[in-house]
Amino acid sequence: MSEQEHSLGRIEVSPTAIASIADEAVLACYGVVGTAAKNLAVGVVSAVSSARKRGIEVRVEEGRISIDVYVIIEYGTRIVAVARSVMNVVKFSVERALGIPVVEVNVHVEGLRVSDID
Amino acid sequence: MADKESSTVVQQHPRLGTDGQGFKRLIKAALAWLQYHQNAINVLNVYPVPDGDTGTNMVLTMQSAWNEIKDSPEHNVGRVAHRMAHGALMGARGNSGVILSQVWRGFARSLDGKKVYRAPELAAACREAAATAYKGVVKPVEGTILTVARAVADSATRAEKDTDDLARMLERMVFAAHEAVMLTPSLLPVLKEAGVVDAGGQGLFVILEGMLRHMRGEPIAEDAQMADAVHLIATEVEPGEAGYGYDVQFLIVGQSLDVDQVRQRITEMGECPLVVGDPETVKVHVHVPDPGVPISYGAGLGSLRDVVVEDMQAQYRDFIAERDLTPAPATSQEIGVVAVVMGDGLASVFQSLGVEAIVRGGQTMNPSTQDLLEAAESLPARQVILLPNNGNVILAAEQACELGDKPIAVVPSRSIPQGLAALLAINYQADFETNVDVMASMMEDVKTGEVTTATRSATINGVKVTDGQIIGLHDGDLKVAGTKVEQVVLALLAEMDAAQCEIITLYYGADVSEDDAIALADLLQQTWSDQEIEVVFGGQPHYHYILSVE
Repeated sequence: MSEQEHSLGRIEVSPTAIASIADEAVLACYGVVGTAAKNLAVGVVSAVSSARKRGIEVRVEEGRISIDVYVIIEYGTRIVAVARSVMNVVKFSVERALGIPVVEVNVHVEGLRVSDID
Repeated sequence: MADKESSTVVQQHPRLGTDGQGFKRLIKAALAWLQYHQNAINVLNVYPVPDGDTGTNMVLTMQSAWNEIKDSPEHNVGRVAHRMAHGALMGARGNSGVILSQVWRGFARSLDGKKVYRAPELAAACREAAATAYKGVVKPVEGTILTVARAVADSATRAEKDTDDLARMLERMVFAAHEAVMLTPSLLPVLKEAGVVDAGGQGLFVILEGMLRHMRGEPIAEDAQMADAVHLIATEVEPGEAGYGYDVQFLIVGQSLDVDQVRQRITEMGECPLVVGDPETVKVHVHVPDPGVPISYGAGLGSLRDVVVEDMQAQYRDFIAERDLTPAPATSQEIGVVAVVMGDGLASVFQSLGVEAIVRGGQTMNPSTQDLLEAAESLPARQVILLPNNGNVILAAEQACELGDKPIAVVPSRSIPQGLAALLAINYQADFETNVDVMASMMEDVKTGEVTTATRSATINGVKVTDGQIIGLHDGDLKVAGTKVEQVVLALLAEMDAAQCEIITLYYGADVSEDDAIALADLLQQTWSDQEIEVVFGGQPHYHYILSVE
């Protein structure tokens, strides 16, 4: 749980909620045509806490958030540019919503979708 | 003999096609104009991440696209567009850069295998550009560059039905882009909160505007210092047959609305359609002659909110005012002249009178449309006048006008003396159209004589000529024939009524010595003692002498 102390009590935001914010941000991110479920056989479940929402993995450690996103990118776009913009958008959206620093966003390009051949 | 229908002869031609080199110049202009607006676009950037780099990213993307094609001699527009799209892809920076690269990717795919694009191909390419851009995202966000790309595609599709002039079409597209950009805050709340329009959308508008300025021959400032010196030539976007009409906007609130169907119906109703939304709420924007039509249609689907109806004429005036349109008189850099000339002597005569580009050619070697177009486009001038100086070159020159992407006009000079007379009439303080008209009427005041050797035997205009004889032509018509050059020149000048004129100029050809030419002039002076006789080295092949009588 991501926690913030207030005079009236505690606010807890679950990693699943954070994953939802990230998911929204990723899907509106240009060049991303889908998120991909990571292969569970090779997935390492975080010891602390972990939540997944269709290809988004959120870990919260000592009030700091790290996020892994697994995406499908449109063939023909510049993958590095799209991935970088995913990092920026996810970090920005989550920090704006929660006010908690996102220390890292790792983008895993799991596949490409080919809609047109040039 | 002056003012002989000159205004109809020399009217500015519509631009009907763009080839690979023309497209290159458009991209160059777009990049320069985008660079000029880079910081202004950066400031607008609040979405998706307010990092203030949209302008920079779009410039870097376009720069990479330009670098890919700038040295290419390719004329096939499909191939140039592909190279350029590839460059945009390789250099795509940031969210807006990636979208832009997709726009160009779709644009290029549609032009596959096309040597030249004309209005229908341009419209199709714009549609494919928008469609490709939309494919690159799961949840397209309206109020962004995507919205602007679709508005441009829609307006190109409409414009293509009304005109085949690419400049006129681009005018409509730029206007539609501007409209769509202005609507972005009402589509994307984060923009409205920040009080800005979408940065990427604005960037796309600027790119198109840069191209339009190039086509209209308007200046494109390359650095901030030039900004103050920028004055545009005001020409209003021509209204359609129904006039400007009204700008109509409203929201339809209902249940299970079919956004695509609404878009289709609204698009059929008028110009600059923009329909976005979801099954519960649809935002509609369209320009129509009768605002009642879309409003009634919308009211039939659900309840209407935020209905806005504005007079388009007033809106367009604001748009023009915003762009600081001040009619400015032409200055010397604004008009350039390309002349078709044979012979080194004549070339330097034309150059001494301010002709910036000479295309070699004449009677037996007509330059191609491409040669003329390249010469015209190579000039820094914003508008170009072509002097074909030969009846056989006029057609090629007129075709060059249609293909050029800056304004080009032909002053249809049929001979060297006509070309020179036209050139002497040029006034760099006057505007383009005035110059073209004045030049065309002035060239009618000069008579042309040509003296050459017949290459075959014939009887023309009642004059019997045998192969190898010397012949004299007055304004292209065979008038005299003889065995000696001097004798033919004398007879031809008499035929041309030289006694009524003031100046006789002899341009002697490559095969005539200066001494012979001066000797001939002395001989002529005995007959025409009141006239001023000039001898000028022309260096032209085939013609022993070209005579100008005025």
